[in-house]
Amino acid sequence: MRILVIGLGTPFGDDAAGPAVVARLAAEGLPAGVEAVIPRRPDALVDALEGAEAAVLVDASRAGLPPGTVHEPERGALREARALSSHGLGVSGALALAEALGRAPGRLAIVAVEAGAVAGDGLSAPVRAALPEAVRRVRARIAAFGEEVRGHA
Amino acid sequence: MTERRTIEVGAFARVEGEGALHVAVEGDRVAELRLQIYEPPRFFESFLRGRAASELPDLVARICGICPVAYQMSVVHALEQIFGVRIDPAIRSLRRLYYAGEWLESHLLHMMFLAAPDYLGLDDALAIARTQRGEVERALRLRRLGNRILELLGGRPVNPVGVVVGGFVRIPTRGELAALGDDLRRARGEAEALLRWFQGLPVPRRPQEVELVALRHPHEYPMNEGRIVSSAGLDVAAGEFDSAFEETQVEHSTALHCHIHGRGSYMVGPLARVLLNRDRLSPTGEAAFASLADRFEAPDPAASVFARGIEVLQAFDAALEAIDGFEPPPAPHPAWRPCAGRAAWATEAPRGVLWVELATEVSGHVREIRIVPPTSQNQARIEDDLRGLVPGLLKLSDDQVRRRCEAAIRDYDPCISCATHFLTLELERRPPRCASS
Repeated sequence: MRILVIGLGTPFGDDAAGPAVVARLAAEGLPAGVEAVIPRRPDALVDALEGAEAAVLVDASRAGLPPGTVHEPERGALREARALSSHGLGVSGALALAEALGRAPGRLAIVAVEAGAVAGDGLSAPVRAALPEAVRRVRARIAAFGEEVRGHA
Repeated sequence: MTERRTIEVGAFARVEGEGALHVAVEGDRVAELRLQIYEPPRFFESFLRGRAASELPDLVARICGICPVAYQMSVVHALEQIFGVRIDPAIRSLRRLYYAGEWLESHLLHMMFLAAPDYLGLDDALAIARTQRGEVERALRLRRLGNRILELLGGRPVNPVGVVVGGFVRIPTRGELAALGDDLRRARGEAEALLRWFQGLPVPRRPQEVELVALRHPHEYPMNEGRIVSSAGLDVAAGEFDSAFEETQVEHSTALHCHIHGRGSYMVGPLARVLLNRDRLSPTGEAAFASLADRFEAPDPAASVFARGIEVLQAFDAALEAIDGFEPPPAPHPAWRPCAGRAAWATEAPRGVLWVELATEVSGHVREIRIVPPTSQNQARIEDDLRGLVPGLLKLSDDQVRRRCEAAIRDYDPCISCATHFLTLELERRPPRCASS
């Protein structure tokens, strides 16, 4: 099974949490059959998802939680910050497009790290401290995807 | 009998930036019509003052996420003019390739994701993807070629950083260009098929009197160079912009309005370019124009989508011409020395003429910069277009009026973020002032 771990974000402040989690996971060693991807823009997500059977999206969130909180929102909980514009798609829009094109993986999990400031260089202390927990959650989701597939076999 | 109706509509979708349209009608007369741009002013012209010439191409790329190349090209040419930097023919040609990448990205996004839902009566491109998946897939594939071009010359597909005074940071290898050329050649048939698909859609007609403005080059379809010409005979160099055009503040917008002295609003963009430069189209572009001749008999902003489709083909041809004729330049960019001076330059952004005027200090630092983006130039024209459109729509429901106005505005593919200095629609139906007969 092809499983993708996708880190979404920009280099700015806590918005870098998604790529930071994926980089840490990759540095510690990716489980067999897992590919790490850091798309350079949300619409690249549409292409990245093609051919994957399962995916874990890792992103910074704005969910009204204390900064550094690691949580796993449902797909339906994602809202687009602004409507589709000439400047491209957001994450929710990219996922919706991938779904409409039949490219979205059958299994999708989202691991989010609540962001503080999304400006400046580097992660804030609470988000940096949350990286191990986020990596642990990503590994747990990957393991669960594997077990689901074995369960169906 | 008179009734007063006011309609409040949420933010306009499928345009870039924040704005609103306020329309008040009295009976069947449009009493007020204001395209209100309320996106906060961004003060780019102020904070670019004092910056080094070498920083400018990266800084101005941040003005817009969809047309960074246009800002980079207008500014870098102005700087080169001031510093007397000679552009190697290979660099000149690679810059056309780079601009072609931006036209592909911008036009394909607009055609499929912003405009096509209007013709199909759908809310968005997701609804198209559910029923006509192949069409959306094709537009995405074609657009990806634009991304690749930007990545190759700009270093990355978004906020590119590869442009420097005199050239690029890095010149692509023959191998990289050959691989891109092969993929472009393979995809050109898809670009033709995409335009044919649009030709089969019920694209509305809105022919009107309008002065068209675009660049014109002695022998090329305009991108980076040319005189500013119009359908009414205007023909000026970029340095003579102020002799022909005026920018004015209006109370209801943070973007400036542009007019031609003594005449009024005008239109820039792909339609103006195609109609003023038909004789500069490539054979594929000309063949596509000929197949659309009835849509181009009179200027019609609604036919802009076809102009974009023609320019997609034109971009393929410009890109392939640059790739096939590539000879590596002696250096990625020549050495240059800053000096004090002043120059104006205009290039053709996906949305139309993008004019800049720059003055530098002896050190090459920016003393003054003026930027006139295409959406700012089209804003007064959009208002005039809607003034003509709305009276014919008044028998329709408020929701239908809103949809038709939004679609008309989208024909200009406005980029409000660039122009702020766009959209909620407010339609106020007031009683007529005089008793109707």
